[in-house]
Amino acid sequence: MYVIKNGTVYTMKDDKAIKADILVNDKGKIEKIARNISAKNAEVIDAAGKVVLPGFVDAHSHIGGVFMEDEDLNEMTNPVTPEMDSYYGINPTDKQFKIAVKNGITTSCLIPGSGNVIGGWGIVLKSNEGSIDERLLKHPVCLKAATGINPKGVYSKANRLPMSRMGIAFLMRDYLRRVEEYMDKKKKAKNDPKKMPLYDLGLEHGIPVLEKKIPLKVHTYMHDMVTVVEIAKEFDINVTIDHAQGASDYYDVLKDKHVKGVIFGPISAGLFPGEGGKIDFECCKGLDDRGIRVSVMTDGPVTPENLLICEVGEAVRKGMDPIRALRMITINAAEILMVDDRIGSLEEKKDADILIFDALPSEDVRANLLLTMINGKVVYKKDEI
Amino acid sequence: MLIKNGRIHDGRGKIYNSDIRIKDGKIEKIATDLKPLKNEETVDAKGLEVFPGFIQTLSHWGINGSATEIRPSSSDNDELSDPITPQLDVKYAFNGRAASAQQLGAFGLTTIGVTPTDNNLFGGTMAVFEVDGLNPFEMCINPQVGMMASVRNNLKLAYGKRNVAPQTKMWIFEQFATQLKKAAEYKPEKDKERDVKMEALQKVLKKKLPLFLSVDTKQDALHALEILKPYKIKLVLCNGYELDEKCDWIIDKKIPLVVRSNSMTMDDTSMRLDLKGIAALSEKGLKVALSGVDGSWQIREDVLWLGINMMRILKDEKKVLPMMTYNPAEILSVDKQTGSIEEGKRADIVLWNNNPLESYKAEIITTYMGGKSIYRKGDELKCM
Repeated sequence: MYVIKNGTVYTMKDDKAIKADILVNDKGKIEKIARNISAKNAEVIDAAGKVVLPGFVDAHSHIGGVFMEDEDLNEMTNPVTPEMDSYYGINPTDKQFKIAVKNGITTSCLIPGSGNVIGGWGIVLKSNEGSIDERLLKHPVCLKAATGINPKGVYSKANRLPMSRMGIAFLMRDYLRRVEEYMDKKKKAKNDPKKMPLYDLGLEHGIPVLEKKIPLKVHTYMHDMVTVVEIAKEFDINVTIDHAQGASDYYDVLKDKHVKGVIFGPISAGLFPGEGGKIDFECCKGLDDRGIRVSVMTDGPVTPENLLICEVGEAVRKGMDPIRALRMITINAAEILMVDDRIGSLEEKKDADILIFDALPSEDVRANLLLTMINGKVVYKKDEI
Repeated sequence: MLIKNGRIHDGRGKIYNSDIRIKDGKIEKIATDLKPLKNEETVDAKGLEVFPGFIQTLSHWGINGSATEIRPSSSDNDELSDPITPQLDVKYAFNGRAASAQQLGAFGLTTIGVTPTDNNLFGGTMAVFEVDGLNPFEMCINPQVGMMASVRNNLKLAYGKRNVAPQTKMWIFEQFATQLKKAAEYKPEKDKERDVKMEALQKVLKKKLPLFLSVDTKQDALHALEILKPYKIKLVLCNGYELDEKCDWIIDKKIPLVVRSNSMTMDDTSMRLDLKGIAALSEKGLKVALSGVDGSWQIREDVLWLGINMMRILKDEKKVLPMMTYNPAEILSVDKQTGSIEEGKRADIVLWNNNPLESYKAEIITTYMGGKSIYRKGDELKCM
């Protein structure tokens, strides 16, 4: 049990800061947020003059599963591999999770890479120590898909479909159509084993997408996002637009109800022709102003964990309010991943994933993380606190 | 042109309010209460932060091709036909338009060191350029500032994978030693073909060019220093992802360090970048320059973001800003021309509405490169 006293608390429930204490119970949940909480047996953490935030959520990452020379999240032997599952590709003891903790990232959405048009299921995992099952928040959280140069580049080398955006759209639509038909056959079979279609794990993995229980999480740049929204409408599925460079060209398209969120970044790149031709950090504010749920990501380990807050900062540089910008890596990310019942804001009954900073990290570049708490346990602490 | 009433951060640790007169692209005078001359353009910088342009010490801007969808290898930073190419010069590969297209001025950069990649043991000579222009030779501030060398794992990935040497660090260090020794002993002979590689390396041994040596690990650096012991050369260490606060020897030997960011590297070694350790070394006297990542994937925010990450540790702009401006200029031998706001230097000046080393709200109002405005707030960022 902890009580975090006298901090300036940004709950992320709204855009206000409050002066309050937070009581964390032994089950690792937030018991109470109020002024002047006194609880016997609770260890006191003095947060006077400090900033208290919910743990950061990285809505698009591959840590624990990808290094340049060691890939466990990109099965690039077939462009359509919906049967893959990130659950089996993650090493939970990877040291990147420790780096994540030191940078305030308490939860990550870990997903297959973008080598395939359909890559497989993603999961949501906390950054604390323990096995995958102990840390798992959601499985599956999405079916990963990819458009553009990534799958095209991979299969062009092998002279295989898809070598063009035509091929990519075809494969994506063809897969969704096959899932639809599979579901239809199952429905008509009415559990009669003789009439049931042959069990197909890849098509099974698409059922929650067609049932809108999880979104298709699509690696998408520039004009590909229009294609993705078209396909989402055609099959009436939910999608998230990940990477989303060039989103400021398509605000109206992204307002579509099938788009559950836009996860922008990582922006750390120069320009290159084609899908890398526009880097529009201002779209974070633009999307937020239009009521479109927006987040940013590390794409870890593509960019290291310490740059997540820098990306939030760049959105602020482009005019976004620092608190609204923090929502991108807290409540917005949690909502996009549909885990906002557990994380993303500081509210009673939610998980005690709590950060204490010495200044507001989305505004003051010098802000240092002093403490990270996951499930009510202190997992990182600086000397100063 | 006259910049009035700005708060000057000179890049060498001084912060003060003053006016700046710019004439012929250079800083002519810094003083308070300068009166505008007849027909002189006056910029009211009251409330603005006046910074030197940032310098990216090691970059591939202008030579990293376009990474197009059509041809995967359109870059000019990598001569992968031979790991030993000291005879090459980066200045002949620089594409002014390609560098300008990146609009680096919008990110506070006015000067770039341009180098071959870390994929060759000796990659060739490096040069310093302006960030905006067309004619590479007009943009060039210093055509030959150092010899780029590397004993990094990159060589193994670039060559070993193709089943040609090097496949191991053994080869890398053996050849590092052998090539230097050969160069030291090299004398052109009358009836024999000149050895252009040895001639190029002799410039390093004769201290005409510093050796910019990229290392991954602490041990890489120690091996290289041991091999370099017989030679009196100017050495600059680059990367050094494992260097920590205990590496006092780098200070004792007065070797500057160019820190490359580890954004977009995805390898285990770069994850060991210990900025805290490097900050501690800098407190003890290590000269540090903050730079960008190696490879064709260049990042425009690298220098600023490394500065920001350094600020989290040192919390003192007077210590961090020189790592982004004056130290790079010194390391690249262009400190007479740029790297700080001082009389007689190029007017490479950036006006910010807020201090970028304090607040993310800092936006660039104008970037001047050699007195010329190359970016103004509100300019649309370019697309390709």
